[in-house]
Amino acid sequence: MDMLLMGLCMTFIGVAVTAMAFVAATRPRSSTPAVQPELPAAKVAPARFFSDRVAASIPLQPTVPIEVLLLQIENHVRLEQAAAESFVAFPTQALLHSKTTSPFVN
Amino acid sequence: MVYELLNGLSPAEADQVLALGTRVTVPSGGPLFRLGDPADRLFLTERGRIRLTLPMLVRGRQEDILIEEKSPGETVGWSALVPPYSFTLSATAPLETEVIALSRETLCAFCDSSPAVGYKIGMNLAILVGQRLQLVQAMWLREMQRTVELRAAGVRER
Repeated sequence: MDMLLMGLCMTFIGVAVTAMAFVAATRPRSSTPAVQPELPAAKVAPARFFSDRVAASIPLQPTVPIEVLLLQIENHVRLEQAAAESFVAFPTQALLHSKTTSPFVN
Repeated sequence: MVYELLNGLSPAEADQVLALGTRVTVPSGGPLFRLGDPADRLFLTERGRIRLTLPMLVRGRQEDILIEEKSPGETVGWSALVPPYSFTLSATAPLETEVIALSRETLCAFCDSSPAVGYKIGMNLAILVGQRLQLVQAMWLREMQRTVELRAAGVRER
Protein backbone atom coordinates (compact mmCIF):
# COMPACT_ATOMS: atom_id res chain seq x y z
CA MET A 1 0.00 0.00 0.00
CA ASP A 2 2.82 2.34 0.90
CA MET A 3 4.53 1.53 -2.35
CA LEU A 4 1.33 2.28 -4.27
CA LEU A 5 0.86 5.64 -2.56
CA MET A 6 4.49 6.46 -3.16
CA GLY A 7 4.10 5.61 -6.86
CA LEU A 8 1.00 7.79 -7.18
CA CYS A 9 2.74 10.71 -5.49
CA MET A 10 5.72 10.38 -7.81
CA THR A 11 3.39 10.26 -10.79
CA PHE A 12 1.54 13.42 -9.69
CA ILE A 13 4.80 15.23 -9.09
CA GLY A 14 6.10 14.17 -12.52
CA VAL A 15 2.92 15.33 -14.25
CA ALA A 16 3.00 18.64 -12.35
CA VAL A 17 6.63 19.31 -13.27
CA THR A 18 5.97 18.45 -16.90
CA ALA A 19 2.92 20.75 -16.98
CA MET A 20 4.88 23.63 -15.46
CA ALA A 21 7.69 23.13 -17.95
CA PHE A 22 5.17 23.09 -20.82
CA VAL A 23 3.46 26.27 -19.61
CA ALA A 24 6.82 28.02 -19.18
CA ALA A 25 7.86 27.04 -22.70
CA THR A 26 4.65 28.12 -24.40
CA ARG A 27 3.82 31.27 -22.37
CA PRO A 28 4.01 34.49 -24.43
CA ARG A 29 6.85 36.73 -23.36
CA SER A 30 5.46 39.55 -21.30
CA SER A 31 8.74 41.27 -20.73
CA THR A 32 9.33 44.56 -22.58
CA PRO A 33 10.78 43.75 -25.95
CA ALA A 34 14.04 45.31 -26.96
CA VAL A 35 13.62 48.25 -29.32
CA GLN A 36 14.17 47.02 -32.82
CA PRO A 37 14.90 49.19 -35.85
CA GLU A 38 11.80 49.67 -37.93
CA LEU A 39 12.12 47.83 -41.16
CA PRO A 40 10.59 49.41 -44.22
CA ALA A 41 7.48 47.59 -45.26
CA ALA A 42 8.05 45.59 -48.37
CA LYS A 43 6.14 47.16 -51.25
CA VAL A 44 3.67 44.81 -52.74
CA ALA A 45 3.75 44.95 -56.48
CA PRO A 46 0.33 45.70 -57.95
CA ALA A 47 -1.28 42.70 -59.47
CA ARG A 48 -1.11 42.71 -63.22
CA PHE A 49 -2.73 40.68 -65.86
CA PHE A 50 -0.72 39.74 -68.89
CA SER A 51 2.99 39.65 -69.33
CA ASP A 52 4.79 41.32 -66.45
CA ARG A 53 8.00 40.31 -68.11
CA VAL A 54 7.02 41.60 -71.47
CA ALA A 55 6.27 44.99 -69.98
CA ALA A 56 9.58 44.95 -68.12
CA SER A 57 11.52 44.33 -71.30
CA ILE A 58 10.28 47.57 -72.89
CA PRO A 59 12.70 50.32 -71.95
CA LEU A 60 10.98 53.08 -70.04
CA GLN A 61 12.20 56.57 -70.75
CA PRO A 62 10.32 58.76 -68.30
CA THR A 63 12.86 61.55 -68.60
CA VAL A 64 12.49 61.94 -72.36
CA PRO A 65 10.54 65.14 -73.09
CA ILE A 66 7.21 64.51 -74.75
CA GLU A 67 8.28 66.42 -77.88
CA VAL A 68 11.20 64.02 -78.31
CA LEU A 69 8.94 61.06 -77.67
CA LEU A 70 6.49 62.27 -80.32
CA LEU A 71 9.33 62.68 -82.80
CA GLN A 72 10.47 59.15 -82.00
CA ILE A 73 6.94 57.85 -82.62
CA GLU A 74 6.76 59.74 -85.92
CA ASN A 75 10.14 58.39 -86.93
CA HIS A 76 9.03 54.88 -85.99
CA VAL A 77 5.91 55.21 -88.15
CA ARG A 78 7.96 56.42 -91.12
CA LEU A 79 10.45 53.56 -90.76
CA GLU A 80 7.68 50.99 -90.42
CA GLN A 81 5.91 52.42 -93.43
CA ALA A 82 9.12 52.30 -95.47
CA ALA A 83 9.69 48.69 -94.41
CA ALA A 84 6.11 47.80 -95.32
CA GLU A 85 6.47 49.53 -98.70
CA SER A 86 9.61 47.49 -99.38
CA PHE A 87 7.67 44.34 -98.60
CA VAL A 88 4.74 45.36 -100.82
CA ALA A 89 7.16 46.08 -103.70
CA PHE A 90 9.08 42.81 -103.23
CA PRO A 91 7.00 40.46 -101.09
CA THR A 92 9.38 38.10 -99.31
CA GLN A 93 9.32 36.83 -95.75
CA ALA A 94 12.72 38.40 -95.06
CA LEU A 95 11.50 41.84 -96.11
CA LEU A 96 8.26 41.47 -94.19
CA HIS A 97 10.17 41.07 -90.95
CA SER A 98 13.20 43.23 -91.76
CA LYS A 99 14.54 45.22 -88.81
CA THR A 100 14.53 48.98 -88.65
CA THR A 101 16.62 51.37 -86.55
CA SER A 102 13.60 52.57 -84.61
CA PRO A 103 14.33 52.80 -80.85
CA PHE A 104 10.90 51.35 -80.19
CA VAL A 105 11.91 47.95 -81.51
CA ASN A 106 15.56 47.85 -80.50
CA MET B 1 0.99 68.25 -112.59
CA VAL B 2 0.20 64.52 -112.67
CA TYR B 3 -2.64 63.54 -110.34
CA GLU B 4 -2.67 59.90 -109.29
CA LEU B 5 -6.48 59.82 -109.37
CA LEU B 6 -6.48 60.97 -112.99
CA ASN B 7 -3.85 58.54 -114.29
CA GLY B 8 -4.65 57.30 -117.77
CA LEU B 9 -7.03 60.12 -118.59
CA SER B 10 -6.33 62.24 -121.64
CA PRO B 11 -5.36 65.87 -120.92
CA ALA B 12 -8.81 66.96 -122.07
CA GLU B 13 -10.53 64.45 -119.76
CA ALA B 14 -8.29 65.45 -116.85
CA ASP B 15 -9.12 69.12 -117.46
CA GLN B 16 -12.82 68.30 -117.47
CA VAL B 17 -12.51 66.59 -114.08
CA LEU B 18 -10.36 69.36 -112.62
CA ALA B 19 -12.90 71.95 -113.78
CA LEU B 20 -15.43 70.27 -111.47
CA GLY B 21 -13.31 71.10 -108.46
CA THR B 22 -12.77 74.10 -106.25
CA ARG B 23 -9.33 75.31 -105.22
CA VAL B 24 -8.98 75.52 -101.46
CA THR B 25 -6.02 77.05 -99.65
CA VAL B 26 -5.30 75.63 -96.21
CA PRO B 27 -3.15 77.90 -94.03
CA SER B 28 -0.06 76.52 -92.32
CA GLY B 29 -1.17 74.38 -89.39
CA GLY B 30 -4.80 74.52 -90.48
CA PRO B 31 -7.12 71.53 -90.65
CA LEU B 32 -8.50 70.17 -93.91
CA PHE B 33 -10.81 67.75 -92.14
CA ARG B 34 -11.05 65.94 -88.83
CA LEU B 35 -11.55 62.33 -87.89
CA GLY B 36 -15.26 61.50 -87.93
CA ASP B 37 -16.28 64.45 -90.10
CA PRO B 38 -18.75 63.66 -92.87
CA ALA B 39 -16.74 62.96 -96.02
CA ASP B 40 -18.45 64.60 -98.96
CA ARG B 41 -15.37 65.86 -100.81
CA LEU B 42 -12.08 64.34 -101.84
CA PHE B 43 -8.98 66.40 -102.46
CA LEU B 44 -6.17 66.43 -104.98
CA THR B 45 -3.05 67.98 -103.49
CA GLU B 46 -1.89 70.81 -105.71
CA ARG B 47 0.83 72.45 -103.62
CA GLY B 48 2.32 71.94 -100.15
CA ARG B 49 1.79 68.92 -97.92
CA ILE B 50 -1.04 67.25 -96.07
CA ARG B 51 -0.42 65.33 -92.87
CA LEU B 52 -2.81 62.47 -92.13
CA THR B 53 -2.94 61.70 -88.44
CA LEU B 54 -4.72 59.53 -85.90
CA PRO B 55 -5.20 60.34 -82.22
CA MET B 56 -3.11 58.38 -79.72
CA LEU B 57 -2.76 58.66 -75.93
CA VAL B 58 0.84 59.55 -75.08
CA ARG B 59 1.53 59.92 -71.34
CA GLY B 60 -2.12 60.59 -70.75
CA ARG B 61 -2.30 63.30 -73.39
CA GLN B 62 -4.09 62.89 -76.68
CA GLU B 63 -1.68 63.54 -79.51
CA ASP B 64 -2.11 63.43 -83.27
CA ILE B 65 0.30 60.83 -84.61
CA LEU B 66 1.41 61.03 -88.23
CA ILE B 67 0.23 58.12 -90.33
CA GLU B 68 0.98 59.40 -93.82
CA GLU B 69 2.06 62.59 -95.55
CA LYS B 70 0.69 63.51 -98.95
CA SER B 71 2.61 65.45 -101.59
CA PRO B 72 1.41 67.33 -104.70
CA GLY B 73 -0.44 65.06 -107.11
CA GLU B 74 -1.59 62.68 -104.39
CA THR B 75 -5.18 62.10 -103.34
CA VAL B 76 -6.54 62.82 -99.87
CA GLY B 77 -9.89 61.84 -98.45
CA TRP B 78 -11.06 58.96 -100.60
CA SER B 79 -13.46 58.15 -97.78
CA ALA B 80 -15.71 60.55 -99.70
CA LEU B 81 -16.24 57.77 -102.26
CA VAL B 82 -16.45 54.85 -99.83
CA PRO B 83 -19.43 54.27 -97.51
CA PRO B 84 -20.17 55.26 -94.78
CA TYR B 85 -18.62 58.52 -96.08
CA SER B 86 -16.85 59.54 -92.86
CA PHE B 87 -13.22 60.55 -92.58
CA THR B 88 -11.22 57.93 -90.68
CA LEU B 89 -8.17 60.19 -90.23
CA SER B 90 -7.53 63.84 -89.55
CA ALA B 91 -5.79 65.95 -92.20
CA THR B 92 -3.80 69.11 -91.53
CA ALA B 93 -1.42 71.23 -93.56
CA PRO B 94 2.05 71.61 -92.03
CA LEU B 95 2.64 74.52 -94.41
CA GLU B 96 0.35 76.60 -96.59
CA THR B 97 -1.19 74.10 -98.94
CA GLU B 98 -3.48 74.22 -101.92
CA VAL B 99 -5.86 71.41 -102.80
CA ILE B 100 -8.55 70.88 -105.41
CA ALA B 101 -11.74 69.80 -103.69
CA LEU B 102 -14.05 67.51 -105.68
CA SER B 103 -17.49 66.92 -104.26
CA ARG B 104 -18.74 63.34 -104.35
CA GLU B 105 -22.02 64.37 -105.88
CA THR B 106 -20.44 66.29 -108.76
CA LEU B 107 -17.77 63.67 -109.43
CA CYS B 108 -20.25 60.79 -109.40
CA ALA B 109 -22.60 62.67 -111.73
CA PHE B 110 -19.71 63.30 -114.13
CA CYS B 111 -18.64 59.63 -114.01
CA ASP B 112 -22.24 58.58 -114.74
CA SER B 113 -22.30 60.81 -117.79
CA SER B 114 -18.79 59.74 -118.95
CA PRO B 115 -18.49 56.04 -118.05
CA ALA B 116 -15.10 55.64 -119.75
CA VAL B 117 -13.60 58.36 -117.56
CA GLY B 118 -15.51 57.03 -114.56
CA TYR B 119 -14.02 53.59 -115.16
CA LYS B 120 -10.46 54.98 -115.18
CA ILE B 121 -11.08 57.04 -112.05
CA GLY B 122 -12.63 53.99 -110.39
CA MET B 123 -9.59 51.89 -111.28
CA ASN B 124 -7.23 54.55 -109.93
CA LEU B 125 -9.25 54.71 -106.74
CA ALA B 126 -9.07 50.92 -106.41
CA ILE B 127 -5.28 51.15 -106.72
CA LEU B 128 -5.11 53.79 -103.97
CA VAL B 129 -7.32 51.80 -101.63
CA GLY B 130 -5.53 48.55 -102.45
CA GLN B 131 -2.10 50.08 -101.81
CA ARG B 132 -3.24 51.43 -98.47
CA LEU B 133 -4.64 48.02 -97.56
CA GLN B 134 -1.43 46.20 -98.49
CA LEU B 135 0.64 48.70 -96.54
CA VAL B 136 -1.47 48.55 -93.41
CA GLN B 137 -1.63 44.76 -93.65
CA ALA B 138 2.17 44.52 -93.75
CA MET B 139 2.57 47.01 -90.89
CA TRP B 140 0.02 45.14 -88.83
CA LEU B 141 1.76 41.81 -89.42
CA ARG B 142 5.14 43.29 -88.44
CA GLU B 143 3.61 44.54 -85.21
CA MET B 144 1.99 41.15 -84.56
CA GLN B 145 5.32 39.41 -85.14
CA ARG B 146 6.98 41.63 -82.53
CA THR B 147 4.16 41.01 -80.06
CA VAL B 148 4.54 37.26 -80.52
CA GLU B 149 8.34 37.49 -80.10
CA LEU B 150 8.02 39.57 -76.93
CA ARG B 151 5.44 37.17 -75.57
CA ALA B 152 7.65 34.17 -76.34
CA ALA B 153 10.64 35.89 -74.68
CA GLY B 154 8.51 36.56 -71.60
CA VAL B 155 7.48 32.91 -71.40
CA ARG B 156 11.11 31.76 -71.73
CA GLU B 157 12.23 34.06 -68.89
CA ARG B 158 9.66 32.65 -66.49
